[in-house]
Amino acid sequence: MAEPLEFSAMTKRYGAATVLSDVSLRLSPGRVHALMGENGAGKSTLIKLLAGVVPADSMLVRQGARTLPLRSAADAHAAGFRVIHQELNIVPQLSVAENILLGQPIPQRFGLLVHWAELARRARAALAELGVSHMDVRRQAGGLGTGDRMLVKIAAALVQDAGQTACLYVLDEPTAALNGAEAEKLFAVIGRLKQQGAAILYVSHRMAEVMDICDDVTVLRNGRHILTTEIAQTSRDQIIHAMTGRDVADAYPPRRTPLGDAVVCAAEGVSTARLTGLTFTLRQGEILGVAGLAGAGQGDVLSLFLGSVRPTAGKAVLSGGVLPTSPAQAWARGVAHVPQERRSEGLMMRMGVRANALLPHLTGVIARKGPERRRVADLSAAVNLKAAGPEQSLWQLSGGNQQKVMFARAMAGQPKLLLLGEPTRGIDVGARFEIYKLIRALADGGCGVLLSSTDLPELLGLCDRILVLQAGRQATILSPDGMAPADLLGALQAAPLALETT
Amino acid sequence: MISQLRQAGTLIGLVLIVVFFTVQLPETFLTARNLINVSQQISMLAVVAFAMTVVMVMTDFDLSVGSMASLAGIVAAVLFTADQPVWLAVVAALAVGVLGGVVNGVLVAVLGILPFVATLGTLTIYSGAAFWISDGKTIFGRDIPKGFSEFARGGVSLDAVGFAGVSLPYMTILALVVLAVVWVTLEHTTYGRRLYAIGGNAEAARLAGVRVRWLRLSAFAITGLGAAVAGLMYASRVASANPTQGAGLMLDAIAAVFLGMTMGKEGEPRALATLVGVLILGILDNGLTQMKVDSYVREMLVGTIVIAAVATSSIGRRA
Repeated sequence: MAEPLEFSAMTKRYGAATVLSDVSLRLSPGRVHALMGENGAGKSTLIKLLAGVVPADSMLVRQGARTLPLRSAADAHAAGFRVIHQELNIVPQLSVAENILLGQPIPQRFGLLVHWAELARRARAALAELGVSHMDVRRQAGGLGTGDRMLVKIAAALVQDAGQTACLYVLDEPTAALNGAEAEKLFAVIGRLKQQGAAILYVSHRMAEVMDICDDVTVLRNGRHILTTEIAQTSRDQIIHAMTGRDVADAYPPRRTPLGDAVVCAAEGVSTARLTGLTFTLRQGEILGVAGLAGAGQGDVLSLFLGSVRPTAGKAVLSGGVLPTSPAQAWARGVAHVPQERRSEGLMMRMGVRANALLPHLTGVIARKGPERRRVADLSAAVNLKAAGPEQSLWQLSGGNQQKVMFARAMAGQPKLLLLGEPTRGIDVGARFEIYKLIRALADGGCGVLLSSTDLPELLGLCDRILVLQAGRQATILSPDGMAPADLLGALQAAPLALETT
Repeated sequence: MISQLRQAGTLIGLVLIVVFFTVQLPETFLTARNLINVSQQISMLAVVAFAMTVVMVMTDFDLSVGSMASLAGIVAAVLFTADQPVWLAVVAALAVGVLGGVVNGVLVAVLGILPFVATLGTLTIYSGAAFWISDGKTIFGRDIPKGFSEFARGGVSLDAVGFAGVSLPYMTILALVVLAVVWVTLEHTTYGRRLYAIGGNAEAARLAGVRVRWLRLSAFAITGLGAAVAGLMYASRVASANPTQGAGLMLDAIAAVFLGMTMGKEGEPRALATLVGVLILGILDNGLTQMKVDSYVREMLVGTIVIAAVATSSIGRRA
């Protein structure tokens, strides 16, 4: 077995800003090491230094008695480091097999034609090493789900190792876009890599999986090393405290006003193309969770009241009237929406805070900059947005601040119904609590909230009731009182019959 | 700082071009008469480019503007030969422009065809229609009424402001009016703000309550109208109508918008920036012609400048 990798004195400055300051890290073979910290803590920079894509101002890398040079991506690769970045850059037009063997010499027949059978065989062999057999390597990679894409990228990293073994895998937020089953597959693969004696550096915001699959943890804050310990020796609260410098007692702000009597929206026996049997009422000030495994139909529950999906059967009402038939109508009737895919469905990344926050609320013919700027300044203060001003482009903001712009947009219209899709996905712990406070403040003000999330503690912490979907069917509505995340997960997975018998 | 310099780069380029020609052509270039002449030469391109800016704000294109300009000129001329009054011919030509734009809009916004493909198709259709209606012939001479062709020759005298014997052409004034309308529409109306939002992220805009289909359709109609205005200006200027006379406008208009986009904070098109693009193309054309540079060399030079401007502006962006 290889010797541990020791990184020391890792420092990186950009201009006057020191983003990583004298950080050390020791990664042992056969162990999964979590790297945690809020956005901006220096995690991405550290990964870039390991990958050799950004030059360090100082860094010493040792493996046993050897000192490893690490000045370029080629150095990192020669040292046996494999970095699987957060963005899954596959080539959608090519087959799975071609993606796995991308950058490798292509097997040929007669020195001219692609030897497809050999290509497929090698790709299958790489997947088999990961214990993956369900994938057709000849299909186009563009049709793969996010989880399978991740497996393809890991297989590609394995293939590169023909003749030499990787000693370190770096996984950057690998589960950010995976559903439960896909994540389980990934964890199995990580287990296998561990057994083969590789060290794994695992970057994630998800506390629960870090506690489950990691052996050690290092926490960074503001570019500094705060804590390194064995997972078994620490607790969730200690890690969060190390990350934020705060305690987490008030993670989920409690309700301050009682539920109203008026019904904000309701459904009775509603079906859509992907959903059946939706029946619920949402009262003023209530937060109703919408839970399910990926593909259970959560999206349609929100889309129904946003007017972007039409019911095929049943009856649904929005503040006493019929459903909106377009998002334009929905916003006009007091519905606000924070979409699940912030970048593709929510934000105009190259436009400013003002344009993004006020888009649904433009009225009249003439747009007046002065009043708009003042309004955005008020909204920015309300959501505690950290931006250089109302015209700063969104791509320059952190993920948490981008999401605050989405909340500013939602709050600007004083909504009666708030539709939330994964409101804290990919958002660090500090910003997450601020967003919970915003959701609670809106609900306390009488707004009804439909909260679709795959973060189970979040559902349990915020919601008054949780509507459970199983494979496109409404299974039940639960009260979160006294429930643990494991109970809720069980409810999402249980077959409907089994649920009735327990 | 660097980004401001980059944004100003194209404007600096324009100033350098003006300085260069002023030095090279000390007698003729920087004179009121020549500048007025330039403004008239570029007025048609300017109108098409401003109209093109409206769709390019949404990251769409309209390749059919050139043949639409030809078609509009032909429609007016055919009505002139049928002894219809000037006002009726002008209204009919503009209506054809709006209609052609609506067709583009339906193809793009309702049927979801890529703008490049849709307007490449209608480019051919409108061009064919122009040939068909005119029988492939140029309509000129006595068929074109004086009231129509005099528009391009007339202007407002500038005697009162100290330029004796010089007048500001109606064509230039019309281009400035179109600029003002497009600028106000894009920068100061909620309509324009929504177009920019569509350009930023069409799906996000739709989910945020923007009626994307309707807006895209109407924007193409505006561009079609602008192309028809330019076609009428052209027909008035040469006192004739020919089924191919608008053909050169499309590429120059897109080039002008691209030049202008180099000045945007995030590379977005802006009406006033498009004006800078139009001025660069127009002044180059005027100056190089005066310096007796071969027209083929001129074309190669213009292409090189467009690429150089866009390339330098993308260097360092997002770095």
